[in-house]
Amino acid sequence: MMMATFMGLLGATELIAPDLSGNLSWIVFGRVRPIHVNLVLFGFVTPGLLGAAFYFLPRLLDTDLYSEGLGRVSVIVWNLILVCIVLSLAAGYSQGREYAEMIWPVDMLIVIVFTLIFFNFIMTVAQRREPLLYVSVWYACAAIVLTGLTYCLGNVIWRPDSGALVGIPDAILLWFYGHNIFGLLLTPLSLGVAYYVIPRVCRSPLYSHTLSLVGFWSLILVYTHIGTHHLLQVPVPTWLKVIATVDSVGMVIPVMVVLINLWYTAKGRLGEIHADIGGKFVFTGTILYFFVSIQGSMMALPQVQRITHFNNWVIAHSHVGVLGFAGMIALGGIYYILPRAVGKPLYSRYLADFQYWLVLIGVVGFTVVLTIAGLIQGNAWFNGETIYRVLPEIHMYYIVRASLGLIIFVAAVLGFYNIVRTIFGRPAETVVVEGSPTRELLAGSESGLAHQESGLAHQEVAS
Amino acid sequence: MKMTPKAVIIGSVLMLATIVFVVVYIPWANRIQTPSEIHRTRSEIEAEGRKIYIANGCVYCHSQSIRTIDWGKGAERIAQAGDYVADQPILLGSQRTGPDLSQQGGEHPDDWHKAHFINPRYTSPNSIMPRFEYLGEEGIATLTAYVQSLGMKDADKRVARQAYWKEKVIAAYEAGPEANVKWLNEQVPQGWRDLPNPYPTTPAALARGRKIYQDFCLGCHSAVGDGMGPAQPYIYPPPFNFTILHGREISGGIIYYHLMNGITGSAMPYFKKDLESEKIWEVGDYIAVYFINDSDANTEPRGIDAAYEPVEEE
Ligand code: HEC
Ligand code: HEC
Ligand code: HEM
Ligand code: HEM
Repeated sequence: MMMATFMGLLGATELIAPDLSGNLSWIVFGRVRPIHVNLVLFGFVTPGLLGAAFYFLPRLLDTDLYSEGLGRVSVIVWNLILVCIVLSLAAGYSQGREYAEMIWPVDMLIVIVFTLIFFNFIMTVAQRREPLLYVSVWYACAAIVLTGLTYCLGNVIWRPDSGALVGIPDAILLWFYGHNIFGLLLTPLSLGVAYYVIPRVCRSPLYSHTLSLVGFWSLILVYTHIGTHHLLQVPVPTWLKVIATVDSVGMVIPVMVVLINLWYTAKGRLGEIHADIGGKFVFTGTILYFFVSIQGSMMALPQVQRITHFNNWVIAHSHVGVLGFAGMIALGGIYYILPRAVGKPLYSRYLADFQYWLVLIGVVGFTVVLTIAGLIQGNAWFNGETIYRVLPEIHMYYIVRASLGLIIFVAAVLGFYNIVRTIFGRPAETVVVEGSPTRELLAGSESGLAHQESGLAHQEVAS
Repeated sequence: MKMTPKAVIIGSVLMLATIVFVVVYIPWANRIQTPSEIHRTRSEIEAEGRKIYIANGCVYCHSQSIRTIDWGKGAERIAQAGDYVADQPILLGSQRTGPDLSQQGGEHPDDWHKAHFINPRYTSPNSIMPRFEYLGEEGIATLTAYVQSLGMKDADKRVARQAYWKEKVIAAYEAGPEANVKWLNEQVPQGWRDLPNPYPTTPAALARGRKIYQDFCLGCHSAVGDGMGPAQPYIYPPPFNFTILHGREISGGIIYYHLMNGITGSAMPYFKKDLESEKIWEVGDYIAVYFINDSDANTEPRGIDAAYEPVEEE
């Protein structure tokens, strides 16, 4: 997180002081930007969320992780990948496709690590003592399998040298994949964490099993095929654009279903959420999920995109999504599991709260500032002003953005300090031993338990 | 519905497979393979330059796709699927921090690109594009070859036009200042040459002209108008020294015409897209007043006075 935001900050500063990179090739904006993007995705948000999944899976399934050793190997390989990403992109080894820049050997490592994690997850599931699968388990498993697959496809790993198709189909594939990095990796992992943390923190069962089901399947069905909304203004087949636009609006269903489920679970218990720092981060993440998705559905309308495409409006959306939604939930997950995983109290609740406010101010500020900048750019271009003419008009906003970036960077440093101090801090007096919470979580969700139990009974009869 | 591990994994993978079939495979199977009328294959050096373009992340700031609603650089040709049939990967881009480059070939001559890549502030003082001096002489030349090929057959025609006029501007420049000015004046249609700047010189207009000059011209023509801006070492013929123009029959119309259309072949760009009419007249008058020391602003023939002009006290 520290490295990633630092890269963001560096990139942002270069946009105001372009001579900053001097004559050094490896810190030029065109190389810093993909490093920033890939590090926030693969270096901060995804591992943060996966860490939480490694914690809640065994607990929800009432078993131990299938293999701690394998888990450690995954962590080591993962960090090796991050180092490779930074070095290769800084040195200019890039395939030039957004979110799929990494060269083939790095791609292979990523596929391997996803396979390892999947194997670990599925074996843990197989040896479970709790027969019911909780929603978070569905999301975590599906996210890993589906991302593993789309990663291979999206990076065209059967063509090691270019990692790309030819012509327009390459763009279609790239955005199918790029969109699924958000839709099949960040979103399900984040929702998995939210589905675990929110009811736990509220000490209340999940509101509805039916809504969980609808939310899960509709997410996979709808999110996966709207990637073409990134390509509404280029010559791709019209029918594909129509599908992408219509179903981007249709995304309201998976999003609202999940949010209603989570929010009703928390209804009347916001006090508990506020009292738990992890819960606070996660709940804020769900609110920003609402915002980013409604905004996204709007941005998929061709009329809106005439103004918003190609400019900082989209960057604002990216930061609400990746930082405000997935990043917030990842942080919440970290703060929720950390004291429990290491059996020591959080070093400083005050610091964590402080970090919460810094990140929140940062991301809201980013949204406001970049949206304004985007509107200036979009409207000016639409009315015939050239890009060069508009540069001074958005200069001020770039400065404010970089200052807000500094705030987020400080937040990251504080968070890092807090986490390190927690890990190396004094252990708590009493260690709470928790049993599997699956049944508690499903207890109230209208007939959820009954449904699953009856299914179970069938199975037992059959066997 | 009972969610077993099998249901989750197999169900979601099946859904994904179906969707990949519909939204990825079908478009791929029905892709347009006929090249568009401007398409041609890239030469070796152009392909090499494209790799430099990818390695240095030009794609994060520059799109390569013109939309129906565009006005800026390259807006004369709307992108077609057939333009991209050989692109692997395709470099459409998702941000326009800088202008679209899909039709960049021949917009500028090579020497402009050289100065620009060494430091974009040399040619475009407000630019936020990074410096690419580290690519070295050869790297910049290779990258320039690629950039000059953008737009393919249409670009080739523009590049050929640049080369044609380059010879002429160099010949004129080498014939000495007197001959150069004469030649430059002769290239301007007579109607424009006879036209004085129709607007009066006012302090406000000069202040605005100065701002335009600083935002657009400074890097080449320099702060004192002697053509010794930081871009000068890379550009040939070098940026014009305005101070030699005194008494050489320069009219407001000539300056306007050069600014509007640029001087193809030389690094002098056209400003028709960047600057509206008033701005061109005002920066022109700024040069005339401060550097040439010879402004014909508001002299006869002026025609009907524009409504907003200050009324002269006779
Ligand atoms: C930080 C974003 C950024 C990056 C990275 C970037 N550019 Fe630019 N580029 C700009 C901006 C802004 C302009 C407009 C101002 C100017 O002319 O410099 C521009 C202008 C240009 C122009 C001139 C267009 C015209 O006709 O006025 C060319 C050619 C160009 N860039 C090529 C490149 C190449 C090649 C690379 C990669 C080596 C690159 N740029 C990387 C931002 C960027
Ligand atoms: C990239 C460098 C560059 C930039 C930027 C540039 N010029 Fe030029 N300019 C040149 C060159 C080169 C020539 C032609 C020299 C020759 O042919 O001898 C020229 C010629 C001219 C002439 C023609 C002089 C004559 O004899 O009529 C005028 C007028 C002029 N520039 C004005 C401007 C103004 C005003 C701006 C800013 C709006 C500007 N230039 C920006 C490089 C530049
Ligand atoms: C120090 C704080 C940060 C700063 C200053 C910053 C700055 C930037 C900049 C300058 C860009 C490039 C935008 C452009 O091309 O114009 C960018 C892109 C991006 N950033 Fe950040 N960023 C920060 C933190 C984060 C964090 C924490 C995340 C996610 C958790 C994030 C996610 C992204 C994503 C996904 C993109 C790609 C956007 C796109 O392609 O549309 N950033 N950021
Ligand atoms: C209903 C949900 C959503 C819809 C309909 C949606 C829609 C869109 C659209 C139409 C664009 C393209 C904008 C353009 O280029 O003009 C876009 C870009 C983007 N979205 Fe979303 N979005 C949604 C949710 C999310 C979420 C949850 C995240 C993050 C986890 C996210 C992250 C991004 C990013 C990073 C980009 C920038 C891509 C790029 O150009 O590099 N979106 N979104």
